[in-house]
Amino acid sequence: MSCTVRIPSPLRSYTAGAATIAADGGTVEEVLASLERRFSGIRFRMIDEQSRIRPHIRLYINTGEVTALSQPVVAGDIVHVICALSGG
Amino acid sequence: MPLSAAELSRYHRHLSLPELGRDGQERLKNARVVVIGAGGLGSPAALYLAAAGVGTLGLVDFDRVELSNLQRQVLFDTAAIGRAKAEAARERLLALNPEISVVAHTLTLDAGNVLDVLRGYDVVLDGTDRLTTRYLVNDACVLLGKPLVSAAIHRFEGHAMTYLPGRGPCYRCLFPEAEEGVVASCAEAGVLGVLPGVLGTIQATEAIKIITGIGEPLVGRLATYDALELRFAEFPFTRRADCAVCGEHPTITAPLRTVASCDTADLSSVHRLTPSALRDRLASDGSRAALVLIDVRDPQEFDTCHLEGARNIPVAELARRVGELPDGCTPVFLCRSGRRSLTACALAIRAGIGAPAHLEGGLLAWAAEVDPTFEVAGG
Repeated sequence: MSCTVRIPSPLRSYTAGAATIAADGGTVEEVLASLERRFSGIRFRMIDEQSRIRPHIRLYINTGEVTALSQPVVAGDIVHVICALSGG
Repeated sequence: MPLSAAELSRYHRHLSLPELGRDGQERLKNARVVVIGAGGLGSPAALYLAAAGVGTLGLVDFDRVELSNLQRQVLFDTAAIGRAKAEAARERLLALNPEISVVAHTLTLDAGNVLDVLRGYDVVLDGTDRLTTRYLVNDACVLLGKPLVSAAIHRFEGHAMTYLPGRGPCYRCLFPEAEEGVVASCAEAGVLGVLPGVLGTIQATEAIKIITGIGEPLVGRLATYDALELRFAEFPFTRRADCAVCGEHPTITAPLRTVASCDTADLSSVHRLTPSALRDRLASDGSRAALVLIDVRDPQEFDTCHLEGARNIPVAELARRVGELPDGCTPVFLCRSGRRSLTACALAIRAGIGAPAHLEGGLLAWAAEVDPTFEVAGG
């Protein structure tokens, strides 16, 4: 199951600057695992040790907020990773 | 207060808009708006609000104008370098529109003064470059019941949202907390100069809409902008029942004195090494053996150039990887400017490392003082 993940600016150092990444997985957890296999360390920037979404991160499938990593992802979905920004 | 003949002429294009008209322009004239941070976001926001005829504009900034500000902070010109930002901005805005009043607040917002400063205004625009101040301002606006238009930028990306008391979620509902240093600042990561122009004008637009009561405010929606792809998007979010400040049982009932990870108590035991002090220690075999250099920048920055023998542990991974620090050595944390390395020190102290060290001024200072051939990424 292939979807697209949009990477926020602060995490693009993990993806060599790429803003969108194709990833596989039937759930958000599987999609993040797919990302982690290619970009080591990126999952930890979004998900903490208790498998919770970090408080400065929000995940959306298309425009619907992700509240559980078990939420299904279907082919063609866009998973958006939103990261708090600090610059002014 | 009615509009004068000069004002009727100045604001003619507004008066021609039936949605705004004379009533809307008088509302703008009677409004008081405060802009937190006279920087990349605050510059275009304040200029447009002044031009639009907002009767009283407040500008809060403790800083002075630097040469590196001028790439994006369009309130200032070269002659303003070294001047207090709030004062220089005041002159610029009054030159643009002498019909308005501008109040310069040259101060650092903190828990002790934020309520007093914001209390005198109708709408708050947050364009600060510090997460701690961002949360401080949000919390103060919730406590005071003030509308807040918040924006933030990073490299080529920007965010904006509006909080209206009683009508929608606040910034903490969006991001309950974020530690300074985990999210890189523009000083460290860089920013496209024109980017805050887009986000700052969105903030000004929102302020005008709130004051005049027109349109649909950006409430319960996070607007995002990617300059490289010229892509706008929006993501809905709702009020959290467990929000610490606007939730059902708030735990924040007064401005927080410390919301950053690197508070003063945490950092009192940090050895702050100047570039020359670090160079001397590295040159001495005995001292060198007692140090381990930990570069806490992102891998991409590390790969561009790093100090010989340095290991890369990005600051966001440090809490998880603190066990990798060798026993019996003093970790010396390094980053581009010295901000992330201070956060790393705070994290290390929390993890039980008694006296970490960091490079004051970061690798930028190292390049300036010790090794001009050292290439610092993201400059």
